[in-house]
Amino acid sequence: MRPLPVIAGPDQPFWEALRAGKVRVQRCGNCGVYRFPAARFCAHCRSEKFDWSEVAPTGTVETWCVFHRAYFEDLEVPYTVIQVRLDCGVRLFSNPVGIEPRALRIGLPVAAVFEEITPEITLLKFKPREPTQ
Amino acid sequence: MNQSVAVVGVGNTRYGKLPQYDSYELGLWALTEALADCGLAFEAIDGLIVNRIPDYQRFCEIAGLNPSYVSITPGQGRFSGICIETAAALIRDGIATTVALVYGNNGRSGGDRYGGVGDTYGSGGGGLWFAYGMTSPGAFHALMARRHMELYGTTAEELGTVAKTFRDHAALNPAAVMRTPFTLADYHASRYICEPLHLLDYCLINDGGVALILTAGERARDLIQPPVYLRGYGMATALAGSSFPPDDFWRAPMRKAADKSFADAGVSHAEISALMIYDNFTPTVLFALEGFGYCGEGESGAFVAKGHLALGARYPTNTSGGHLSESYMQGWALNAEAVRQIRGGCGERQVKDCALVHYMATAPVVTSIIYGKDPA
Repeated sequence: MRPLPVIAGPDQPFWEALRAGKVRVQRCGNCGVYRFPAARFCAHCRSEKFDWSEVAPTGTVETWCVFHRAYFEDLEVPYTVIQVRLDCGVRLFSNPVGIEPRALRIGLPVAAVFEEITPEITLLKFKPREPTQ
Repeated sequence: MNQSVAVVGVGNTRYGKLPQYDSYELGLWALTEALADCGLAFEAIDGLIVNRIPDYQRFCEIAGLNPSYVSITPGQGRFSGICIETAAALIRDGIATTVALVYGNNGRSGGDRYGGVGDTYGSGGGGLWFAYGMTSPGAFHALMARRHMELYGTTAEELGTVAKTFRDHAALNPAAVMRTPFTLADYHASRYICEPLHLLDYCLINDGGVALILTAGERARDLIQPPVYLRGYGMATALAGSSFPPDDFWRAPMRKAADKSFADAGVSHAEISALMIYDNFTPTVLFALEGFGYCGEGESGAFVAKGHLALGARYPTNTSGGHLSESYMQGWALNAEAVRQIRGGCGERQVKDCALVHYMATAPVVTSIIYGKDPA
């Protein structure tokens, strides 16, 4: 089994927001830089002030890889992992939804997909973003 | 740099599967070989840094050592270069006169796994991303390799050429674990572990130990082996934000470490006889060639495809076979190979007129060491 994320910890507001279909990350109360996962101090200005701020559920693909070796019993290979930079600057590893590996490219605009895997846990995945008119 | 420092002793165990030895015993085996190599007694060691060996006190008890200075470093490959540079500083500052660096790795027999539950690679481990299937240092480098391919047109053939070249070198090294040459067709046919990386892009997991003995240049000249001098060295890091691959493939810290080591050595790239590049995965070799200034940004794939890394070519690289084919000794065996190449006597794999060898490792901690036959 792949270990599931620990909800009851410093990242709890992130996971609770995903269940509600929103993306929330920490924002420094001093310099305004966004960060995830949770940290007491801002790595940019070392301030201890922060709030959990809702951010746009959009970003771009930075790179990707395709797992052929199975490291977790319940994840069928091959599967794709993407590295996404949210528009707020936070980076995440995730999986694409409805994007074949050959359609991936650096800079591909993506939007959040909220995938409920247990009643408590919703994962943040990404689909191609519709071009804005 | 005022006082010269040299590697005077090099020792290693056999490499491969050695289930009857733990990492302490592998380290002590290698240390015994290194001391015999230079003709020094255990009592001559007054500085000791152990690497990957879990407990320095237990190691000293087993080895019967009472060094004046002792330290311990985590089992990450980036620490081989850190230990060597630290040893030089200890000697230059008079804290120790003869430093032993001892590495023991029983990863093969100990069942070490680099991915899945228990993966601790990166900053605090990757548990947060397991739910998405993200795990392993191999995947981290696969992400970087894909980005390099997309940005610069780097190809699988170029990665395969790195793996094939080092295997060809290993075929000439009796100590290497993997000595059977393969073709690029074999490379393409080898299974993907994490695409774009194939099995043959990954280093080995095996058991073994390596030890180096360093001392000041004027003492070095009285010992059995010709001294191999640390002509220049440098370090730099990119640790902030290092849970994710760096946008610049670690070019900025590599440039910094390279500039310092070349300036201190007083030599240019053109004078370097051979390269030892930390090859945990084939793409790391490409990133290092660019970052340390052997080719331009994005040009490493074409550079490798021209055959420059082969024995007899412009920059023979990882002449022992490296981590990909000799043994995964986390940089230590590459430093041992640098010393042995400069001494001469590497048999069929000996680099002709080998006077300067550049060891380089790229990761969130970058290290660069230029070894020379002459003190300056």
